[in-house]
Amino acid sequence: MAFTDHCSIFASVNEEGINRVARHIMRQRPSLFNYATAFFRERPKLLCVPIDYAPEVKKAGNPLFAVQDPIPVPGTPTPVGLNWSLQFTKLAIDFHPGNAIALPPELGALAPQRLALRAAACVGLDCPPDGVINELIPRLEALNAASPDKPFTGIALPPRQPKETLVLPTRELLCFCLEVYAVAHVEWGPIGDDEEPWLKVRLDGLEIVDLRPQPMEDLIECYVKTVLRLGILPRLATPMSAMILNITEMLQDKGLDLGKKVTLQPTPISADAPHNPAVEQDQLKAFINLVVEEV
Amino acid sequence: MAHLNVAVSEEAFRRSFELLQRALVFEKADSKDMGAFTAGYDVKAHLEGGNIDFRADNSVLIDSLDLKWDRLKFSLGLDIPEICVGGGCINMPWPIPDICLPRICIFTGDPDVSIAPDLSSVVAQELSLAARFTVRYYDASLPPPSPDLCAPLRLDPLPDHNQWQLYLDPEWIDLDLFDFPDIVGDLIENALTNAVKALIPGGWVRDVILAIIGGIADLIRFILDIPDKIEEWLNDLFNISFGLLDLIGQLVGEFLGRCNPVYRLDDPLEIMPASNGLIPVRIPVRNLAAGVNDVELVLQADVGA
Repeated sequence: MAFTDHCSIFASVNEEGINRVARHIMRQRPSLFNYATAFFRERPKLLCVPIDYAPEVKKAGNPLFAVQDPIPVPGTPTPVGLNWSLQFTKLAIDFHPGNAIALPPELGALAPQRLALRAAACVGLDCPPDGVINELIPRLEALNAASPDKPFTGIALPPRQPKETLVLPTRELLCFCLEVYAVAHVEWGPIGDDEEPWLKVRLDGLEIVDLRPQPMEDLIECYVKTVLRLGILPRLATPMSAMILNITEMLQDKGLDLGKKVTLQPTPISADAPHNPAVEQDQLKAFINLVVEEV
Repeated sequence: MAHLNVAVSEEAFRRSFELLQRALVFEKADSKDMGAFTAGYDVKAHLEGGNIDFRADNSVLIDSLDLKWDRLKFSLGLDIPEICVGGGCINMPWPIPDICLPRICIFTGDPDVSIAPDLSSVVAQELSLAARFTVRYYDASLPPPSPDLCAPLRLDPLPDHNQWQLYLDPEWIDLDLFDFPDIVGDLIENALTNAVKALIPGGWVRDVILAIIGGIADLIRFILDIPDKIEEWLNDLFNISFGLLDLIGQLVGEFLGRCNPVYRLDDPLEIMPASNGLIPVRIPVRNLAAGVNDVELVLQADVGA
């Protein structure tokens, strides 16, 4: 059977190819996957997971992580913050049949036309040693005593005159890593009254591994699923018209006038091509038609 | 299994080719001074028709592709040696005055005669070729080719970075010779004869000049050194003197097989542009391969580690 039995152009990418692309993105844009306080600029070795980056990143002076504000310590008379980090690692995708990612039992075997995603999230938070805390207590007590009516910073009201946050020095982060697995699929369908078909990503399941107690795991999983289903995935929906590539315009830009309207469009779903894109044989496959119309 | 696969059906390739050939136009002009005459051409052509066949032996056959001339202007200028008649005097005995004939010269210009017929309606060529898709890797760190034979044919400049390039490399090219039909020979001969006739005055001068040159057709053949038929002479002129046929055959071969890839893929390939001071994200492309079977062209590539 030929690739193009039911279309003009066929394109596919297999999971190993996508996973390699993901690794290149993670190494060349580490700041998309690593978040930490500015403290770690000079001390990246203190992060939970060493950041693997391409040499060009350092050469260009690009950041290894996106700088975030310290986590505030509520109630202190002057802003006090703790260093922290969040790092995403081990990103991987697996197209049906499942063989590149070992899904947790809760998600079952990967069903046909489904894809699995895996990511590890490592969270680190500074735990100031008792010596540092004990050293600070008298100073904060004195500040509290000097102005007993001050509201809690970070909770009740923002300070009227912002003061620089006192970030406690970090010697070591307390870290833990969670592995998150998700199963998803893509489908075509209308949005609202618009008859144009849209390509949508649907979440079938999500599992955070080894989070205890179980109710907490259920709670967090439910929250993440809700955020993904209502907040993030609807934004990824793409109309069919956005996938039509106008060849005529592309060639006109190069000085060639075809005299006809030539486009590349997704092949309509049919009995011969029931899924487009198709998630099968460890690949994401797309079937495309060349359409020529009189101008 | 390759990481990336792209296949194009024979039918889609055929339709794309039909559309592209309408947009591709060949245009060239040249002239040569050959002493007794000057000749030149001003041509414009496009491709039409033809059939594309993907074959099981990994080759592509392009059959009977017509080279249609939108303009095939052939210019010819003759510099005919000057001929003068009259001018002498007959000495008559006194008191009869001498009788002097007026001196009349013709063919004093350079050229004396010029014609520029457009032969586009009576001449056509046909091209057939078999080719294989060939992948080459352009390594920008190596010195550029010298001499760069592709320079006049290249549609896009040489890249300043590494690139995979896919060529349609001809194995053989069959291009019909410039075989001018008899009608072209007659057309040129008549045009020249009429142009020369117009230069010769009438009356006794005409008789004298024709007696000298032995007929206009003979004069033209003598000047152009035409041994037999004028159309054969025209064929040689275009195919050998101008080398236009060789030029076109060579152009097609070099254009497709060496100078203009039908597809390019940068290595590394940019998948995310630079933004806000962040470097672009690029992925290395490895093992680009191309091949055809009976029904489709298949391109495959891997993403480097």
